[in-house]
Amino acid sequence: MKKINRRDFLVRSSAAAALVSTPGFAYTQGFGAAAPFTDYRALVCVFLHGGNDSFNMLVPNTTAEYNAYAASRQNLAIPQADLLPINPVSQAPGTEPFGVHPSMGGIQALFESGNAAFVANLGPLVEPTTLADYQNMSVILPSQLFSHNDQQSQWNSLKGAGTSNTGWAGRMADLIQANVANQKMATNASVSGTSLFQSAESTIAYVMGQDGPLQFEGFSDDPTSILFDQRLAFQRVLDAQYDSIYERGFANIQSRAVQAADTVSTAIANAENSGVITTVFPNSLLGRQLSTVAKLIASRAELAMQRQIFFVGIGGFDSHDDQNQNQPGLLGGVSDALAAFYSATVDIGVADSVTAFTQSDFGRTLTSNGDGTDHAWAGNQLVLGGAVNGRDIYGAYPTLEIGGPEDVGGGRFIPSTSADQYAATLANWFGIPDTDLDVVAPNLANFAQRDLGFMIA
Amino acid sequence: MNKLVSFTAALMLGLAGCGGGSGSDPTPPPPPPPPPITKAEAFQFLNQTTFGAVTSEADRLIAMRQEAWIDDQMTKPVSLQLPHVQSIPVPQFPFQLQADRVDIWFRNALHGEDQLRQRVAFALSEIMVVSQLGALNGAPYALADYYDVLARNAFGNYRDLIEEVTLHPAMGVYLSMLGNEKPDPALNIRPDENYARELMQLFSIGLVELNLDGSEKLDAQGQAIPTYDQATIESFAHVFTGWTWAGAPSFRQAQRSRLNQVVPMELWEDFHDAGPKVLLNGASLPAGQGGVKDLSDALDNIFNHPNVGPFIAIRLIHRLVTSNPSPGYVSRVAAVFNNNGSGERGDLGAVVKAVLMDAEANPAVRTGQSGKIKEPLLRLTQLWRAYDATSNSGRYPFDFAYFVFGEGPLQAPHVFNFFSPFYAPPGEIQDGGLVAPELEIATEYLNTFVTNFMFGQIFGLNSTNQNLQPDDVFINFESEMLLAADVDQLIDSVAGKLLGGEISTPLRNEIAGMLALIPETETAIRAAEVIYFIVTSPEFAYQR
Repeated sequence: MKKINRRDFLVRSSAAAALVSTPGFAYTQGFGAAAPFTDYRALVCVFLHGGNDSFNMLVPNTTAEYNAYAASRQNLAIPQADLLPINPVSQAPGTEPFGVHPSMGGIQALFESGNAAFVANLGPLVEPTTLADYQNMSVILPSQLFSHNDQQSQWNSLKGAGTSNTGWAGRMADLIQANVANQKMATNASVSGTSLFQSAESTIAYVMGQDGPLQFEGFSDDPTSILFDQRLAFQRVLDAQYDSIYERGFANIQSRAVQAADTVSTAIANAENSGVITTVFPNSLLGRQLSTVAKLIASRAELAMQRQIFFVGIGGFDSHDDQNQNQPGLLGGVSDALAAFYSATVDIGVADSVTAFTQSDFGRTLTSNGDGTDHAWAGNQLVLGGAVNGRDIYGAYPTLEIGGPEDVGGGRFIPSTSADQYAATLANWFGIPDTDLDVVAPNLANFAQRDLGFMIA
Repeated sequence: MNKLVSFTAALMLGLAGCGGGSGSDPTPPPPPPPPPITKAEAFQFLNQTTFGAVTSEADRLIAMRQEAWIDDQMTKPVSLQLPHVQSIPVPQFPFQLQADRVDIWFRNALHGEDQLRQRVAFALSEIMVVSQLGALNGAPYALADYYDVLARNAFGNYRDLIEEVTLHPAMGVYLSMLGNEKPDPALNIRPDENYARELMQLFSIGLVELNLDGSEKLDAQGQAIPTYDQATIESFAHVFTGWTWAGAPSFRQAQRSRLNQVVPMELWEDFHDAGPKVLLNGASLPAGQGGVKDLSDALDNIFNHPNVGPFIAIRLIHRLVTSNPSPGYVSRVAAVFNNNGSGERGDLGAVVKAVLMDAEANPAVRTGQSGKIKEPLLRLTQLWRAYDATSNSGRYPFDFAYFVFGEGPLQAPHVFNFFSPFYAPPGEIQDGGLVAPELEIATEYLNTFVTNFMFGQIFGLNSTNQNLQPDDVFINFESEMLLAADVDQLIDSVAGKLLGGEISTPLRNEIAGMLALIPETETAIRAAEVIYFIVTSPEFAYQR
């Protein structure tokens, strides 16, 4: 691989930024005329806010590797007998038998059945980085490592050393706008608030609550009712001219809310009434969000959807304290909700068309601060769905030694695979052509492997 | 002679007379008094400085003008929360008192005389964040006392504030400084870095070096310059070791109690890291000077960083006046932080006054980016103040505020507050390089929720309702009902109470159109209709 001079890279970086921020250039590179997709695909981003301690989610299970893990993790290590063993099919060098956290039985089953995979030692990178590179500052690093909101932004936007107002899901939605012109709902939909992940130059994500869109009180479709006039009057107030950017911004959101609430709520109700989803979801925040996503997927025909990206998120992973008490519930909750979600996609008949994947601010320190862990860098992520090339671990799982060749200090590992490559692999499956993957993942060109191979075509 | 010449002549004569005896100098005429501020201007100022402009306060303000009003506000006694929360009989579960904590917050916001102080305390609570959501759910006394710390220090000195915040057990729990220990290499234990990181990133200096005007300093390659690195974080993390609940029998056996959650944390020297530390800008602390001195020196080190002035200036301007201040505005306010005019650094009272009295707080020429979006909680308090919101029990137990409005007092979802100072919605705001932080929580979902809440409040929870529960907060617009027959009078009266008298023609016309469909006998519905349309309008959501 070529050694990259810092100055050269800055030039390239601003070119990448130009790709992202100059709509004309980026979008003329796209599909061209409005050829619609002929199939349906959906991505579901499950963001684990706070920084998931994922070296306790996916744990080495061979003697030497487990012992290194246990020695480093001390009071936070999972006892080896408690691990749920998994058997990755890959014979590539560096892949060894592993186990998942004892509370993740659902994930274990999905992995062993070939419908889930892990991507190991993954994190934001601008270019391939060794420990010497890091210590000598001879490569460009992503900015603000170890800071929550900045690393959430890194995963969501792939901004690297620069800044970004758009996320990689937002950029995908912008790229395919012309190809999905007949959709009745935005490509990007969230059941967990506004996120940089779905922010874009042009398209706007549709934000709902965990149970779907709210309806407005005091509005009616019945023309004989005064509430019909009220709705129209309310809309005309929103459509008036305003001198302030703030009034216009507010009116814009309110307008979208009024119009979309009707369309999407009707679609969800129809999905519920059809009885197609028989899976029962756990009554957790994540379970309810994924249940709503499943209903929206079930309504894809009614909403004329062909490409969807959902944003789902929960918090609580910032385990500075009480990690041993809290982690089983956290990881068990993720496992149960994702297992139910996969089952629902089977009910609907779209298991091969829907891919869920996790992101999280960062992995956490191998070392303990007494009863918990602190912010680190690389971690392990999970992908699941029928289209996943499952039952394997992608990337290079590190040796979990303090002071080892990937440790920048305190048991914080440099990623061996980049978030850009992760996103590009998912984008590729989603239908973004190879020439546009650099818009989605601006640092991708710095890495040899543009697709990590964890998706079946 | 014209006035300028006669004044100059008088001045020169006065100067000429300085060296010896003086003749009788003609007295220069007094400058003409400034024109009185209008009701609309008064409402604009009061929406910057209180929990909602009301006509009676506008009249007081017009009589005394802004500066005297601010000075008068700074003399008012502090409205507190803790005494009220402590006066409630202890319930079965401590978290049940969170409703009482929020209750007293509303009472102070709606009825407290120290409006400006409470408004600044609210702003500080969105910068130095602790929250009921998480480990502090069972510590309502700690949260009430923490808020009182913010209120008491709102016009005091930033250095005092940051020390009280650092040593408050609510913050100690929220960002893990409480119980933080010096390193133990045998057990691979390092000091917790949470507080060190967030204190610098979110409460004081931010991530990158700033100029006085708030812009980022750039290095020779045109890149922003980080204010600290991982080593600095670790140094501060080592400073913040050895502190726990006051009065504990031992460091590791320290437990929360009703009493110790409202007093500062105490130091256990044996658990404090005694090594040397290297802090910001190369400053170093020697080994062995003890935890109290280490902490004090470390806070001094942060306090004296040149970033603090612009960092705090921007955030207070954001909370009170406008989302997009000019660099000049930020500079002027930051300069007051650096020196209040009497050589004192960190005088928050002076900073608040500079924010509010700057010409840009009431620009002669408004632009599309003047002002800001009102926080949704402040839209609620404005409605409640305008229409004397009360309940039959006298309580305002609205502790689900966060779930309805996307924000509530000490209810942030995480230490980054409800919204980011850097948020820009896609479209013209983002394209223009501008921000509108409050729009980050103006999602379709939350906007619908707030609109529906207002519908229920106005049409349902008002004084004509015969079936109110003791804790239902209801508004009283019976005075508007008396005007209900006359469309223009009714609209003018409500616009006078909520918009300072200025209502746009489209909004007025739509309201009049709806009133034409409502029978004149339905005086409550007619009045409610006007209030509902105004309160849910873009122009009410906008703070001029």
